[in-house]
Amino acid sequence: MGVQPVIVSAGFSEHASKRSDVNMAELMNEAIEDALNKCNCTIDDIDCIINGNMPAFEGANIPELWMTDHIGAKNKPFLRVTTGGTTGGSVAIAAYYAVASGLYDTVLATSFEQQSCGSTTVGLSSVALGEVSIYLELGYDFEKLRRNMGAGAAIGIAAYQAVNYMRRSHCTEEDLARVVVQNRHNAAKNWWTHLKMPNYTIEQVLDTPYISYPLRFGMVTPASDGSCAMIYTTEENAKKFTDTPVYVNGVASVSNETAIVTSEAGGCGQIDPCEQLGARISARLAYEQAGISFPEKEIDYVEVYSPFPNQELMWLERLGLFEENTAHLQYREGVTALDGDLPVNCSGGVNSTNAIGASAMERVAEAALQIMGKAGNQSPKEIHTAIGHGWGGAINLITLSILADQPRRKYKGGI
Amino acid sequence: MEKVGIVGYYQIKPETDIQMSRPEMIFYATRGALDHAGLKRDDLTTVISATNDYYDGKTISNCFTVDAGGAYLKDESKVEMDGAHAVNYGLMRCLSGHHKLALVWGASQPSTFYYSCIRVLENDPTFDRPINLLNDYTAAALGMRAYMNKFGVSVEDIAKVGVKNHKNAAKNPLAWNEAQLPEITVEDVLNSEMLSDPVTKLMHAMPCDGATALILAPEELAKKIIDDPVWITGVGLCQETYYLGDRDLSISVSMEKAAQKAYKMARINDPRKDIDVVELFEHSAYEELILAEALGLCEKGKGSSLSSEINGEIPINPSGGNIGAFTPCATGITRIIEAVKQIQGEAKGYQVKDANRAIAHGQIGFCAQNNIVYILEGGKK
Repeated sequence: MGVQPVIVSAGFSEHASKRSDVNMAELMNEAIEDALNKCNCTIDDIDCIINGNMPAFEGANIPELWMTDHIGAKNKPFLRVTTGGTTGGSVAIAAYYAVASGLYDTVLATSFEQQSCGSTTVGLSSVALGEVSIYLELGYDFEKLRRNMGAGAAIGIAAYQAVNYMRRSHCTEEDLARVVVQNRHNAAKNWWTHLKMPNYTIEQVLDTPYISYPLRFGMVTPASDGSCAMIYTTEENAKKFTDTPVYVNGVASVSNETAIVTSEAGGCGQIDPCEQLGARISARLAYEQAGISFPEKEIDYVEVYSPFPNQELMWLERLGLFEENTAHLQYREGVTALDGDLPVNCSGGVNSTNAIGASAMERVAEAALQIMGKAGNQSPKEIHTAIGHGWGGAINLITLSILADQPRRKYKGGI
Repeated sequence: MEKVGIVGYYQIKPETDIQMSRPEMIFYATRGALDHAGLKRDDLTTVISATNDYYDGKTISNCFTVDAGGAYLKDESKVEMDGAHAVNYGLMRCLSGHHKLALVWGASQPSTFYYSCIRVLENDPTFDRPINLLNDYTAAALGMRAYMNKFGVSVEDIAKVGVKNHKNAAKNPLAWNEAQLPEITVEDVLNSEMLSDPVTKLMHAMPCDGATALILAPEELAKKIIDDPVWITGVGLCQETYYLGDRDLSISVSMEKAAQKAYKMARINDPRKDIDVVELFEHSAYEELILAEALGLCEKGKGSSLSSEINGEIPINPSGGNIGAFTPCATGITRIIEAVKQIQGEAKGYQVKDANRAIAHGQIGFCAQNNIVYILEGGKK
């Protein structure tokens, strides 16, 4: 039961803070053409298209409807999957299931974000403050409300999470800066990234002002315009397109409660936003599917979704790659560098490039390219197994894809 | 395709202004579906939701409905289209072999936003949106006019579809109160408020609050859960071009392609003979005719002469259809549930005799740009 899906290609558009030379459809088209050209595939070979982006950021609802002709979706099955920050990862997982179900043979998964078209801050603030009117109607004091919900949107919630993480692991601000520097150096060697800073130093990072303690201006993710496309197909079909197929051996997207006081203030919320039960369970599920029992030994390459440096450390631990509270020590020793034992985010990661809707898919795409040996900033190490991760929502949504150069070891769908 | 069964479902009674919060409404729908199937939340392995951030007025609205929708610590995702599209994703997850039970729900509260205004945000932002002429109503008017002109169909013929659906809705306790009009006549429909010539209010689906949920299970498991699961034996999905000027609005190309794929999968050669009941998602009365024609139930342009009453040759929308209760994001799931009820013989008051094979349909976009068709089968015959 079920077909083994294979990734045959991944493409990107150029990323920048303002891609005003193209509109949304043209931006997507760049990545789609890149993906198709890399594997001798034409749009006629595609049986189904799945796309997603953050709905609120461009002010366009279901933009694929008017983009139909520009993305090659005319007279084809089309699905739109959006889940906030994890959108790209969710689209990749949906493409996986589209092939695994046997309903479609070759699936094009695409995602994009053109943040310069709209206002990301307005879009994000409604994550935190959307239900304010209801609370006020219920007689809630606004001051109390602000204290409870102010940690909603990205930077607020990340700062809250960073303080918690630093308390647990005793890592320093210098450790956070080290993560940023590694990412920006990597980004400089990759063609499609946004913040290319080959000479960035820890001192320079620590010299920038705080946005919200402990996160400084030099540590946070940019807002980018860009897109990503991937082609999923069956093992049989893959032979037509490429000599280096990448097998998708496990996927999971386990969701937790929201990290703030939940939508109606009725639940308990997550007391500690760096606990990440959803990520732990996602990892367990996906590793189980892929037949991985010792992730810390078996995984060769990791792309985690980390707009903020503390998250990169945290996710590596929650996904079972390092012991709890030790990730920053590994960074000090260069384990995660391009030529280290476990290279992390050689693409430059979300810390250097963040076209939000596409970011989580770019993680999977870069992981696949590292296995193929075709990445922009290729690791010198031979990569057999890699992870593409994403987080979104109010740090409660997770997506995870496990990729390898070999098919999965006899997974029969559990009991 | 392996068979996947529908083992449980639940609909909240749609209301003009429902006295519940969104998560509350979703909770009752998902919990209702679990209770209907006799399952517990722990049995679920995956949850797919259908909501729209613009309809909810909240960015990433799905991250706040994780717990209400039964997805706490479950493998979860969201399809931002019609509920019927979300069912397709649930189906894909079941067929992959990774998941045993998939809960699919859809919900929205149009009492909190102006539906036809929000839909303007679906327009092409560089041309159609600044000109601001294309919306829910005008698109329907263009489509209806194209259909009438091409095939010489009269306004009365189309009004009759509105009459039929409102009358059917009156028999369905889970239709929207304001759409339940047992005494309605063709004149009433034609004399109701003009939305955009020639579309009047009573021949157009008006949005209301509601939530629906259903549970999918692979064949073996479905048989264990209930005695008479309804099987999804075929599914077809297709999207056509956006620009209304590039399309022939009097026919539906995407519906034809979707139907052909679904028929092929379910091995249906003559839909007229093989299909017992049809549940369509029509935004406006004329769409029901075009969609029925695209399904091959009659010749092009002859939709209005099809005998589609509850006791007719091919009953279409015995539940009242989308005109009977239009709950954005949930309505595609409602269509599937209504078809399931007909097959299981549970449609009390509007039951079609000996229904065993049904079509359910969902759509999105102006003039039905993206269509999805399901073939549902019972165990009889």
